[in-house]
Parts: sequence; C-alpha cells; structure tokens
Amino acid sequence: MRSISILGIVLAVVIGSSTAYADRKQVRYVGIHPVAKSEGGGICYIEGPHVHVFGADKVQYRDHAGANYFVGDPVAYGYDGPKFTYKGHHPIHVNVVVGDDNDDVEYCYLDGPHFHYFAPPEGPEFRIVGDAYFYVAEPPAAYVDARPAMISINAVYRPLVYTRPVVTIEAPIGWIGARVDLGGPAVVVERPGAAVIVPSGGIRVDAEVRIPMPSVHVDIGIGSGPVFIGGGGGEGRGHGKHKKHKRR
Amino acid sequence: MRHPILLTMIAGLAGLVAIAGLGCGKADDKPASGGGAGGSGTARDALVEAWKKAGLTPSPMTPATVSFGKDCQSGTVNNVDVIVCVYPSDADAKAAEQAGLEWVGSTTGAAWSKGGVLVSAADRRKTDPSGRTINQLMKLSP
Repeated sequence: MRSISILGIVLAVVIGSSTAYADRKQVRYVGIHPVAKSEGGGICYIEGPHVHVFGADKVQYRDHAGANYFVGDPVAYGYDGPKFTYKGHHPIHVNVVVGDDNDDVEYCYLDGPHFHYFAPPEGPEFRIVGDAYFYVAEPPAAYVDARPAMISINAVYRPLVYTRPVVTIEAPIGWIGARVDLGGPAVVVERPGAAVIVPSGGIRVDAEVRIPMPSVHVDIGIGSGPVFIGGGGGEGRGHGKHKKHKRR
Repeated sequence: MRHPILLTMIAGLAGLVAIAGLGCGKADDKPASGGGAGGSGTARDALVEAWKKAGLTPSPMTPATVSFGKDCQSGTVNNVDVIVCVYPSDADAKAAEQAGLEWVGSTTGAAWSKGGVLVSAADRRKTDPSGRTINQLMKLSP
C-alpha cells in the first residue's frame, strides 16, 4: 500500500512537471536580446519576430507591435556581433532596426557610453563625434514623460561587469546629456566638479549626479574641444528614415 | 539584297521571344507547389537548396499532416525542427503564421511566410540556444 502511494506521488510529480512545461506560455520577441538566465543566459541572435518561453522585464524591453523589443546594451550579456557606440539617452527607431512597417520610436535611457547592435538613422537628430553617436535633437514629450520610470534601467547595468565603450571626446553642442532642463527634480551633486577642463574655447564638466531615486550620471559639455574616443566602432545595420514618436 | 547579319539577328530575336513565351506561365500563377517529397523545382525545394548552400544541414523533408496546411513537409535543419507549407497565395500563408507559431509549442521558435510559403522552426532539442540557426533560416527565405 505504501509503495503504491509513493508511486502515485512520483507519477503526480512527473505528470505535474511535464504539464507545467507543456503549459509554458509563448512570449513574443523581435530583435536581438539577452536570454533569461533560467534558460542558460547569453544572447538570442534571432533578428525577426520569434517566441521564447521566458518573460521580459519592462525596463529593458518595450512593446513593438505585440512583441518585446530589447533597448538595453547587448554587450553586457555577451553579444559579440557588430556594435555601435552611443553616449547618453537617445531614440531608437525600432521599425528601422527590425525592418517592418510598424512605425515605432522608443527611447534608450542608458546613461553614459554604451553599445547597441544598430546605428541610428542618418539625419540631424544624431551627431557622430569620434566613433560615438550623440543625440542632439529636441527630445519629445514621450521621452520626457517616460524618463522617471525608465531611467531605472541604469540600476540594472551599473553592477554588470563588461567592457564598456570609453568616450572621452567632447560632446557636441545640443547633446541631450548637457540639457540641464531635463535634469529632473531635486538634483544632488555627490562629486561636484570631478573634472573641469578648459580646452581651447570650451568647458567640460563631468559630475556624478544623483537624484533621490533613481540615480543618473550627467555629463555637461559646452563648446568644442579636442580629444578622443574608444570602444565601439561599427559596421553593420541601421540607418533609415525617421518615424513618428510613440507616447506611452 | 538584305544583310545576312541583320537576318541572323532577326531570327535570333524571334527565337528568344519564342523561348520566353514558353517560359511564361498564365497570369494567375500560384506559388510553386511542394510537389511531394524529393520533388524538384518547387518553392520548397528551392528553399531547402538555399539552406544547403548556406552551409546548413537539412534532413530529408517528409510529408506532414497538420491542421493549418494541406501541402506541408517537415524535417530538421541543424537539429532544429522545421515545417514548410506551401499555400495558394501569400495571404493564405500569412494567415497561417499564428498556427505556425502554435506548431512551435513551448520552446524557442518562429514562424514566417513569404511568397506563399510558410516556415515554422522550433528548437525543441535545445540545439540552437543562441538562435543563430533560426536566424539564418529566416534570412535565407526567398
């Protein structure tokens, strides 16, 4: 009798677990993105629409026509394909990246230098200085509105250890990272005046700035100046026409 | 007297027109049918051939009975399960994409259509954790 009970329990566990597997719901993705640690980690290189049976968070992913689109830095998760260096926040023309007709502009809120696997569309909203892309256009309300919530993506990346791009070149005039009007409430400077360089005709101030929650790194650059850039580079994808902005 | 070279050119041109006429189908051309396992010259065969040329290793495709298509064959490519269904029109193939995703089941996969051909790929054996094979399959679709 006891052995029958044990057999029953074992069968229940086996059947239960297989049912749980069979019931794992498909989650839609589009574009390259990290694979959940529970599924082995690493990167999924499927560029078109596809499905997995693991979920996506709401900070590193945005909805694109019902699919999860990754807006973070794939290099942090082991991506080894062509990559492009960006500095600071910027829009992502998702439909251009994934190559469909669903107009969609999302925003990357990663502070400082980071990578993406695509270049931005050609046009006036980005300036490439050295090898890095800087967003220099007037940010739309959609960007500003979502900023307080989405900027928390930096808390995800701060502890990640990987080779980040190094950008020491002067930011171009109009760069979003120098916009004090987008700084948010109650800014507290923790390390004021960490670096003040006065190159020929320009001023550059780097400071670690923290708002109550979450924290951000703000680079303030005025004027022009010399210098260099490292990391990144790029060949590959990207470019295309500008699309409408999506408000969330 | 007519120039012999001119006559030769006219004859050649007429021949080309005749050959082109033979090659043209009716205006209501449909996507090529699968033509059965091992058939040649079909959309499905062309697809499998493209996969081979790209260095992938497709298994022989065998007829498959599924609810979302009458002309379907399945097999594997680099141990990723695939099913390729041929439909009378692009719209029919497009309409079957959701069913193609359901065929994938509880694993990583994709379903896409082009030119009246639906392809579903499912990594049921977990042999493509980076998705590179599925990505290649997608990109090689005609």
